[in-house]
Amino acid sequence: MFSEDTILLFYEITDVIIAGLSTGSVYALMAVGMTLVYGVTKAFNFAYGDFFNMGGYFAWILIVGLGLEFGGYPVVLLIVMPLLFAVGYGLEKLLVAPLRKRKDWENKVMMMTLGLALFLTSLYMVVFGVRMKSLPPILEGTWEVGQLVFSYQDIMIFVMSISGILIFAWVLNNTRIGMAVRAVAQNPVGATIVGIPKERIFATTFAISTVMVGFGGILLSQKWFINPNSGGIIMVKAWVVTALGGMGSIRGGLYAAFIIGMLEAFVGWMFGMSYGIIALFVLLLATLVLRPQGLRGKGE
Amino acid sequence: MLNVNNLNAYYGEAQVLHNVSVSVGRGQVVVMLGPNGHGKSTLLKAICGLAESVAGEISYQGQPIDHLSTDKLVNMGVAYIAENRELFPYMTVQENLKLGAYVKAARPHEKKNMAKVFSLFPRLKERRTQLASTMSGGEAKMLAVARGLMSNADFLCIDEPSLGLQPSLRLELFSTIKEINKQGKTIFLVEQNIPHIAELADKIYVMEEGCISFEGNSKEALGDKHLKEIFLGM
Amino acid sequence: MRLKHMIAIIGVCYGIMAVLPIFVGDIRFVMNIMIMCLIWAVVASCWDLMMGFAGIFSFGQVAFFVMGAYCSGILAIEHSVPPVLAILMAGLFTAVMGVLVGLPCLKLAGPYIALVTFGVHMALQPVLRGKIGIAIGSGGSVGLLTIPPVSIFGYSFSSANIVPTFYLTLLLSLSCVLVIMFTIKSYWGVAFLALKDSQDFAMSLGISAFKYKLMVFALTSFLTGIIGAYYGHFYGVLSYRMLDLDLFSILMVMMLVGGLGHFPGSVFGAFLVVAGSELMAPLGAYRAVTMGALVVILVLALPNGMMGLFIGWRKRLSAG
Repeated sequence: MFSEDTILLFYEITDVIIAGLSTGSVYALMAVGMTLVYGVTKAFNFAYGDFFNMGGYFAWILIVGLGLEFGGYPVVLLIVMPLLFAVGYGLEKLLVAPLRKRKDWENKVMMMTLGLALFLTSLYMVVFGVRMKSLPPILEGTWEVGQLVFSYQDIMIFVMSISGILIFAWVLNNTRIGMAVRAVAQNPVGATIVGIPKERIFATTFAISTVMVGFGGILLSQKWFINPNSGGIIMVKAWVVTALGGMGSIRGGLYAAFIIGMLEAFVGWMFGMSYGIIALFVLLLATLVLRPQGLRGKGE
Repeated sequence: MLNVNNLNAYYGEAQVLHNVSVSVGRGQVVVMLGPNGHGKSTLLKAICGLAESVAGEISYQGQPIDHLSTDKLVNMGVAYIAENRELFPYMTVQENLKLGAYVKAARPHEKKNMAKVFSLFPRLKERRTQLASTMSGGEAKMLAVARGLMSNADFLCIDEPSLGLQPSLRLELFSTIKEINKQGKTIFLVEQNIPHIAELADKIYVMEEGCISFEGNSKEALGDKHLKEIFLGM
Repeated sequence: MRLKHMIAIIGVCYGIMAVLPIFVGDIRFVMNIMIMCLIWAVVASCWDLMMGFAGIFSFGQVAFFVMGAYCSGILAIEHSVPPVLAILMAGLFTAVMGVLVGLPCLKLAGPYIALVTFGVHMALQPVLRGKIGIAIGSGGSVGLLTIPPVSIFGYSFSSANIVPTFYLTLLLSLSCVLVIMFTIKSYWGVAFLALKDSQDFAMSLGISAFKYKLMVFALTSFLTGIIGAYYGHFYGVLSYRMLDLDLFSILMVMMLVGGLGHFPGSVFGAFLVVAGSELMAPLGAYRAVTMGALVVILVLALPNGMMGLFIGWRKRLSAG
């Protein structure tokens, strides 16, 4: 019925879609973390992408550097995620919180975090070298349905990042700390009045976003490589997803992440990987001109 | 219960409060009257740890509280109900109330207080799944007061509860406040110039240009010529 | 700061620069550093005008610098345009690019401008290195290697004639810095101060924030493009590696040392930091780490830069 070529093309496109879905899910995770920290603390973190790499490098140190044999990824995550949380919490308290009292502090935070990004990027290069590092796949092997081949790795990445988002959304909507976070985002003065310790919530959300993006880094670095120089691009990507989805909207972020994951996969397949970022940039400018509040922004 | 002694407050370079001294006894309703922009709200904010630069002594149940943060104060039982409500707009009435009981001291009493609040404000019970941003001005005000009560505080600072309410709602709110007082709460209220407030108050202060210009009970206040001039235009 | 003081500080800075070749004119290494000081003073001052005065948080300064450099280089190599003309055209090109970037995002608040301009920076590298860049003559990953030096009436200002080249740079740098100074002191500058104090009040005076911001975006991109193009012709080679983040952080340190919004602190900061970063060259890869850390520390510890410290001292002196 179909020619050989058509069938081949069909399989190729399916591969591209799967790749788009698995990277898209990680983008969603990153975008949710970004929208959280911006929505709650109003501080924009330019070092966001470098925390992605931090997650990757922490995992690499454990798995490759120290040759951790027992437990594999569950143990790695159990060690790395609290570590990322501590790093995020500490950095917020040490570097962001003192700026909060200053005039024009949002801009000062942007400059400071950009400096932090430059610092981390060059630090990675000094410590780990410019050569990219790779992580072993979380699960080897493939799942074959007829002629279609799904790698377990892609499936795991998708499942883990989506469950990460779901757990986060559940915590945000159903726990006391989640409610406090939403309260600070919606009305910081009101939150103070009811006795929510705002500073601690700021630091906690910063730490949670660090964990989310670092988790994304561990997941995606198995497919790509850990590139010390990539923090900036990853930050811009996460932000494009956030802006397209609408700042403050988790669901919008999900849609946008899959759109962008697909777009990147298809542009990469058709023209080559380096055009991905240009396509993203064009999409971003179009969004800003046509719909500055994003797909589902509250305009808040 | 609450004593303020020689309090000075500043807003930028300007001094807003000059040597203000106020005392509120347990179980009382104390009302601070005065024209708009003369420092009444700043005093309340200073008590509740929300003002920026404050110098002077504030003590609550004998303990100095002037350097405590708001969350510690709420935990001690001092709650603030803001003039512009400061609700959480994208949360339901119930969630807003729940957050009112955020501090540790309030958590064990959450259920009991929720029931109490719903019996005081039946309308909030009807609307408990509605978003706060969709409520009318009067309902939002009730929610703000109710949220303050959820903190299980003994001492409520209420900033201009009647602002922007129509007269009938205003009376309703005042009678509810009286009711709250009867249930054992001490209330420190700031208002602009409402005639009915005198009936509510055990003690009245008047603040003009950052200074206390009158202190006395409501009878004395109603008899004072100067006060009549500024508040009733007589 | 008053105009008088600005002129005095600029005068002293450039005056010292102008006499230095008498002593070090034959040490090419030092002369090169001094020329770099003059060039980066313009870039840092443009950035300060944009961020410190106009309140436009743009992170695209290095990108516009590189755009100007590449544009002029390509024009001179591929199309044999005389360097002086190529530099002017590069300035116009970057001005147009500035407006194109500014149009969609200047109306948006918050981190949008910073992110879009940073995105321009990020996207520029793959463009220059990739097929598009090669098609327009960027030389791909090799870069531009044979950019001709500026020549005026047949006299070539190359590194072979380092002292005359130095004075030409000085003249160009000084004119750009003076343009920036007069912009700050003009009606524009006053309008910006008003906008910074209260957007609503300024609007009621009929000051359109968008229009002014767009004009400043165009002006600073123009000047940055010009000085970038000049840099290309002086240096002779260009590489996409300029867009790596260490140059960015050095530029940021310049402005923070000078003091954001404390023009002409940026001039002073550029002189100090360019010289300082040359001294740090032996640190190798650790230099970038240090520069990044310096940005963080300076933002936290020295919010108004050296200029702020200086003003603080003077106030205390006159008060005591």
